[in-house]
Amino acid sequence: MKPFSSLNRIFSNIPIHAALILLCLLWIVPTLGLFVTSFRPREDVRTSGWWTVFQPRQVVGETEYDTYCASCHGADGKEISAADLSSPELLVDYPRSNRLLTALRKDIDGKPHLSDPALPSNPNKALDTLSKILDYMRSLSSGGTAKERFTLRNYADALVGYKGTQDYLTDCQQGVASALAKFQCNSSDLLNPEGMGRALLNTIMVAVPATILPILLAAFAAYAFTWMDFKGRQLLFIILVGLQIVPLQMTLVPIARLYAQLGMQSTFYGIWLFHTAFGLPYAIFLMSNFLRGLPRELFESAYIDGANHWISFWNMALPLALPAIAALGIFQFLWLWNDFLVAKIFLTTQPVLTVQITNLIDPRGGNWHILTGAAFLSFIIPMLVFFAFQRYFVRGLTAGAVKG
Amino acid sequence: MKNKNKIWLIISVLVIFAMTLAACGAPATPAPTQAPVTTEAPAETQAPVATEAPAETQALAPVIDCMGAAAGDQLNVMYQWSGAEEEKINAIFKPFIDACGVQIVAESTRDAAVLDTKAKSTPPDVLFWPTTAPMTLYTAQLKDLGSLGADAGSYASFWQALGTTGGQWLAAPVKADIKSIIWYSPVQFETFGYSVPATFDELDSLVDRMAADGNIPWSMGFGSDAATGWTGSDFIQDLLLTQQGPDYVMGLIDGSIPYDDAGVVEAYQTYVKWAADPKYTVGGAEGTVNTPFLDAIYKVFSDPPEAMMVKQSGFAGGEIVKQYPSLQYGTDFDFFAFPGAKGMQGGADYMMAFSDTPAVKALVTYLTSAYGAQVWAETGFDLSPNKNAVGKYTDAQLSKKAEALANASGFTPDLGDTIPAPFGEAEWKAIIAAVQGEDIPKALAAAAAAQAEALKQ
Repeated sequence: MKPFSSLNRIFSNIPIHAALILLCLLWIVPTLGLFVTSFRPREDVRTSGWWTVFQPRQVVGETEYDTYCASCHGADGKEISAADLSSPELLVDYPRSNRLLTALRKDIDGKPHLSDPALPSNPNKALDTLSKILDYMRSLSSGGTAKERFTLRNYADALVGYKGTQDYLTDCQQGVASALAKFQCNSSDLLNPEGMGRALLNTIMVAVPATILPILLAAFAAYAFTWMDFKGRQLLFIILVGLQIVPLQMTLVPIARLYAQLGMQSTFYGIWLFHTAFGLPYAIFLMSNFLRGLPRELFESAYIDGANHWISFWNMALPLALPAIAALGIFQFLWLWNDFLVAKIFLTTQPVLTVQITNLIDPRGGNWHILTGAAFLSFIIPMLVFFAFQRYFVRGLTAGAVKG
Repeated sequence: MKNKNKIWLIISVLVIFAMTLAACGAPATPAPTQAPVTTEAPAETQAPVATEAPAETQALAPVIDCMGAAAGDQLNVMYQWSGAEEEKINAIFKPFIDACGVQIVAESTRDAAVLDTKAKSTPPDVLFWPTTAPMTLYTAQLKDLGSLGADAGSYASFWQALGTTGGQWLAAPVKADIKSIIWYSPVQFETFGYSVPATFDELDSLVDRMAADGNIPWSMGFGSDAATGWTGSDFIQDLLLTQQGPDYVMGLIDGSIPYDDAGVVEAYQTYVKWAADPKYTVGGAEGTVNTPFLDAIYKVFSDPPEAMMVKQSGFAGGEIVKQYPSLQYGTDFDFFAFPGAKGMQGGADYMMAFSDTPAVKALVTYLTSAYGAQVWAETGFDLSPNKNAVGKYTDAQLSKKAEALANASGFTPDLGDTIPAPFGEAEWKAIIAAVQGEDIPKALAAAAAAQAEALKQ
């Protein structure tokens, strides 16, 4: 062995590793941003980026406050009891520095409010200074305690589908009328039709049967195509697999019409049927190719031993095809989980997760804090499914799809 | 083989679980967004609202004509409203539901593709849509509103003209928002000694005075995903209304005036002077093109503000308090009509009917009636174009908007909402290119070509 061969290998792998790390970063950084944002209070989400959570919160305006206000109002703002600068009631009147400036321009007892030192005469400079002083007064009124930086309220809002101006838990605590009209403020709110909790149930109800049905049917069909002899087998197989080229979008209108005539619009049965029909061609193709790869002798000896098709399907074909079934299952399940278009059209009264997220968006694109929480809720389960069956994923793919 | 059994056990449990859920869930299906208002006291259907009428509405006898709709009749409606807006429309529906016992099943979507699929398979009974586009797309399916009992007398003639095609009145406006207004902070104006301009020349000199003071007059932002550019389109339309007038804008909409006409060039020149210069707008051309339109609103009301004024539709008021709940209307934020505009620019949501069942007739009659207008105004779901809504608003901001609309010497629909999509997209492209420094006649040539292509008969 040459002395530098291992070193050589390390260097030759560097581009691959660099590309991998880059790809991972490209995916992880935005996801991390979403994750961090989903735990930030609404006010923070509105006013600053998620990366600022890694910086310490700084209180600005202390020097400005000391220069202009501390001599009369005291360092804690409480010196003049009629004008307690640290009281929240006083701050309500001054949401902006321009209001404070208007007030300060008025004389007090016939003398200018601020004379030593006077505020900068340029209004822009005065506003700059005053906005910092206001920031400092706000920190005084909150008693110097830092505001919470992380919260679970976004998740609560998303789960129950809260769209008001505060947050669900606060509204319930204060008994806000508009919230009480919509919520019971107990665990039954988790099933509120506008929330992600209900949507999660709906998605499970769509995804689980619509994953199992096509795979089961495809397994039967694939067994028949592979091990049973009947006339026109090849032709039927080609036709069925050829159906893959039918674009889903083209069939929306005719199927919606058909469903309307059958009274199946907006039912779970309708959407199961739709997804099963569209999942079957690929599932049959993949399963057939996988079963064809199994040794012929195995089945022949079983037939000689007296097994019929039913027994050899359940006891041999199906267990052996487990990797292919798992791969198909993951594919179909993730596709159903992420499906928006079909659910939006065929399941209008029971919104699934993807549709519910769009319902949570404010008409003009607001409500980011709820969206981040909702997005995370919507992809926890697919992640679990993927990690649980991950080892079948690649195995099943290479086992079936690439063989002709 | 033990392993196999386990898997099938799990699968069958899952299937049974899902089937049970579906079986339990299915009967509860029909009421998506609101509680099913079941047949409350069908005997009282005649005039139950009269008894509940608020004391202050005595001037109008609040009678809802049910047009023979039976309690329990189902009415499918489709609209784009969601969240707080959906709550408002439900509040407006409520007296109607209480009176007639009709069950309203609503679907909310902003997607024109969903509307198209539905219209071709299971059309809603009543559609509310922010453009009159469905009127031209589904003309044959829609019913004449007059024949359903809608009161045409409730609407000014220009509203009727907007909803009429081929001699049939197919779309009635139910909700309007005015666009020719400018939002500002009265306290901030007071701080600098500025006053609200009454004419366009005053606005022009105010803008220059602000710039001389070191303030940035305008906050502009085009950013709106696929619709980037519409805020610029609104601003230019106001300039056209000021410099040319409403007839000129209508000419652009119907194609009788080409989009590269001298008047359009003039409006673009005025606009680009402001929109591309960092002295006049936050961030100059780059800021104008890249700032999201909501952020552009916030910049005027942050502390300290980044700009003095933002031209935006009536909805901006709601967005300001949502972003800054501590600000107060009238002190911290307010609006004034675009100075010198000869006519008001606005947008509206239109009601269209796909069927003529008694329940549809009853809803159409209710919403176009004087009582419906009053409920709309009191609920405060933007403005009601219904004449009878005037003076019924309880919200100060809405009253002022209604007044601005009533005082306008004319009305033009938002050009961007009305023209065909290819022309609209070409217009946005032209605006973005002009702001980014392209020669204006050159930028307009492509839009004019798209206009000719889209509007040729």
